Amino acid sequence: MKKAVMYALTAASLCAAHPALAVDNVQGLAMTCNNCHGTGGVSVGLSMPSIAGLSESYLKNIMTEWKTGARASANMTRLIKGYTDDEIAALAQYYSKLPWKPAAQSVSADILAKGKEVTERCETCHGATGGQPDDADTPMLAGQWAKYMELELLKYRDEGFQMTHKKMTRNARKMEEGDVATAAKFHGAHSK
Amino acid sequence: MSQINRRQFIQAFAAVSAAPALSFPSIARAGAKAKVVVIGGGYAGATAAKYLKLLDGRIDVTLIEPNALYVSCPLSNEVMVGHRDIGTLTVGYDGLKKRGVNVLHDYVTRVDRARKVVMTKGGKTLPYDALVMAPGVDFHYVGIEGYNESMINDIPHAWKAGAQTLLLKKQLEAMPDGGVFVITVPKGPFRCPPGPYERASLVANYFQHHGKKKSKVIILDANDSHSKKGLFNQAWAKMYGWEKEGLGTNGMIEWVKGAEGGAINKLDAKTKTVSSDFVDVKADVLNIIPPHKAGKIAVAAGLTGETGNNFEQGWCKVVPMTMASAVDPNIYTIGDSCVAGEMSTYGNPNAAFDMPKSAHIAMTQAKVAAAAIVAKVNGLPTPQPYYANTCYSVVGDEYGISVAHLYRVENGTFKYIPAGSGISPVTMPDKSPVPAIYRKLEAEYADGWLRNVMADAFI
Ligand SMILES: Cc1cc2nc3c(=O)[nH]c(=O)nc-3n(C[C@H](O)[C@H](O)[C@H](O)COP(=O)(O)OP(=O)(O)OC[C@H]3O[C@@H](n4cnc5c(N)ncnc54)[C@H](O)[C@@H]3O)c2cc1C
Repeated sequence: MKKAVMYALTAASLCAAHPALAVDNVQGLAMTCNNCHGTGGVSVGLSMPSIAGLSESYLKNIMTEWKTGARASANMTRLIKGYTDDEIAALAQYYSKLPWKPAAQSVSADILAKGKEVTERCETCHGATGGQPDDADTPMLAGQWAKYMELELLKYRDEGFQMTHKKMTRNARKMEEGDVATAAKFHGAHSK
Repeated sequence: MSQINRRQFIQAFAAVSAAPALSFPSIARAGAKAKVVVIGGGYAGATAAKYLKLLDGRIDVTLIEPNALYVSCPLSNEVMVGHRDIGTLTVGYDGLKKRGVNVLHDYVTRVDRARKVVMTKGGKTLPYDALVMAPGVDFHYVGIEGYNESMINDIPHAWKAGAQTLLLKKQLEAMPDGGVFVITVPKGPFRCPPGPYERASLVANYFQHHGKKKSKVIILDANDSHSKKGLFNQAWAKMYGWEKEGLGTNGMIEWVKGAEGGAINKLDAKTKTVSSDFVDVKADVLNIIPPHKAGKIAVAAGLTGETGNNFEQGWCKVVPMTMASAVDPNIYTIGDSCVAGEMSTYGNPNAAFDMPKSAHIAMTQAKVAAAAIVAKVNGLPTPQPYYANTCYSVVGDEYGISVAHLYRVENGTFKYIPAGSGISPVTMPDKSPVPAIYRKLEAEYADGWLRNVMADAFI
C-alpha cells in the first residue's frame, strides 16, 4: 500500500508540467532525504520533522531561505547549499504530494487543557490545534513531532538564532518558558 | 538521460510497484524474476534489500547475514558511558521480512563470479543475477608488535558494536579515579572518521560525572590531523580543560598526532603499555582500534586490489554512476568495504575527498545501487545517482556537532561538492561565539537521526 502510493505519486508529479522536470531523478534525490526524515518523509525520530505532506510552498520556502542564508539552521543550511533551485523545487513538490501521516503521541489531560490555553495565539495562523494552516506558507503542526516543535520554538526564542518570520518570532518570545514544551506536546498530540 | 528516458524510468518504478501485472521485456524474456543476493545485513545491505523491494517488489531479494540481531555502531559510544541503553541500538530483520526480503542467517564463504553463485557456511548455493556486496570492514591485526586478535577480550576495540561495547563499558566503570584511558587510532581510512574523538569526549564526560575527575584520556593517533578537529578542540577546551596538543598537557584529554609519537607499533599486553618510536604510554583501560580493510568476503571475491593487504588495495573500487564494482559489473560494492572517490588522508589539504565510512553514506550508496539494479533488470537507463552524508557526534551534555558531505557524479567521476558540505560552525560569521542552542540542537538531532536511519534501513 505504502509503496504503491509512494511511487505512483512520483509518476503523477512528473507528468505535471513543472520546473521539477528539469531534475533527472527526483525520487533518487528524495531517497537521500529519507535517511534523516524517514522512509517516504515520515519521521520516526522525535527531533526530526516529518516532511511528507507538508505544503509545497512551505517546503520550498524554507529550503530556499536556508540556501540563501536568510534563515539559520544547525545543519540543513550546509547540505542545501549544494542543491540547485530546480532540485529544491522538485523535492518540495515530491514530498508535498505524499500523504501527511501524523505521529502517534498521547499526552495527559493536563497538557491538553493547559495546551489549549497556551496555544491560543498560534490559532490565527496555524488553525485550532495547529491542524489548519491558513495559508500555504504555514506549516502543519497537528501530529508533527512535539520534540521537534519544541526545538523550533527554542530557535525562535533565542536571540542568537536567525529566523525569518517576524510574527512567529514575536509570538514565540511572548510565551512563558514553561509553556514551550506544553504547546509543542499539545500540537503533537492532535492528528489531522 | 533524456527526458523521455527519465520519465519512462520513473514511471516504470511506479508501475512496477503499483501494478505488478505490467510486464517488462527483460523479465518476460528471462521468464523469471531477477534474483538479487545481498551479502551483509548492516546499514548498507539492509537498506539495499529494502529499497530493492520498494522500487520493484517483483525482484527476488535474499539477504544473507549470520546474526539474528544487528547492533548499531552509531551512538554506541553513548552506551559505553552509560548515556544510552544498547537495546535502543539493536534491531532484527522482521521489518525486512515483512517487506518480502528472504532473510537467510548464514555466512557467505565463497562467491563464484564466473558461475554467478554464492556459497554459504550452511552449505547453500544461491544463484544471482546481481550481487550486492556489503560485508563492512575487517580488522588488520598487524603492524603492532605484541598485539593479535586473541587479545580483544582484554583489550577491546569496540569498533563493532555489541559485546565489545559492553566490555569496554565495564572496564571504564572498574577503573579507579586517576586512571588513564588510552585510545589508539589507526591510520585512515577507518569507519567513522570522527568516532575516536567522539569516544574520547564522552569518556571524559563520563569521568566528570562518575567521580573520576582526576582521570585522563589519551588519544594516540597514527594520523596527523582528524575529522572536525577545530570543533573537537573547541569542545574539549570548553568542557574538558583542553589547552593544546601533545602528551603531558594539563587537560583531561590529550591528543598526540602521528608525527609526535601517536603512531603506535608495539604493545606490552601485560602492563597495557603501548609504544611508538617516541613514547611509551601505560594505560589502565586500553582501547586499541586496529587498522581496517574491506570485509573478508569482498577480498576473497577478488573485488579489492591484488592482495587486499595494504591501504590502497584493501578496498573495493566502484563505478560512480551505479556503485557497481570496478572489476565485476554484476556485483555492487557498498558501505564500509568500498572506497568511493580518491583515497584521502587527513592532514593533507590537497587530498581528494573519498566518501567517509559512515552508516549514512552507506545507506545512500545502497539506494543508488538499488535504483541501478532495478533499472538494469527492467532494461531501463541508469538513473542519475545522488550521494549525501551527515555524521553527528555527541561530545558532552547538550553538546552535539556534525559534518555534512555532498557528492555528485559528473562525467562518470565522483565530484565532492564543497558548497553542500562542511562542519558545524566553529564561530559565527562575525567571529562571535556560536550560541549554545546550536550545540544543543545537534545533540537532539543525533538521536532523531539515529531512529530514522535505523528504521529507514531495517523497518
Ligand atoms: C563507534 C562508532 C560510531 C559510529 N558512529 C557513526 C555515526 O554517528 N554516523 C554514521 O553515519 N556512522 C557511524 N559509524 C560508522 C558505521 O557504523 C558504519 O559506517 C556502518 O556500519 C557501515 O555499514 P556496513 O553495512 O557497510 O557495515 P556493517 O554495519 O559492519 O555491516 C556489515 C554486515 O555484514 C555482515 N557480514 C560480514 N561478512 C559476511 C559474510 N561473509 N556473509 C554474510 N554476512 C557478512 C556482518 O555480520 C555485518 O552485519 C560509527 C562506527 C563506530 C565504530
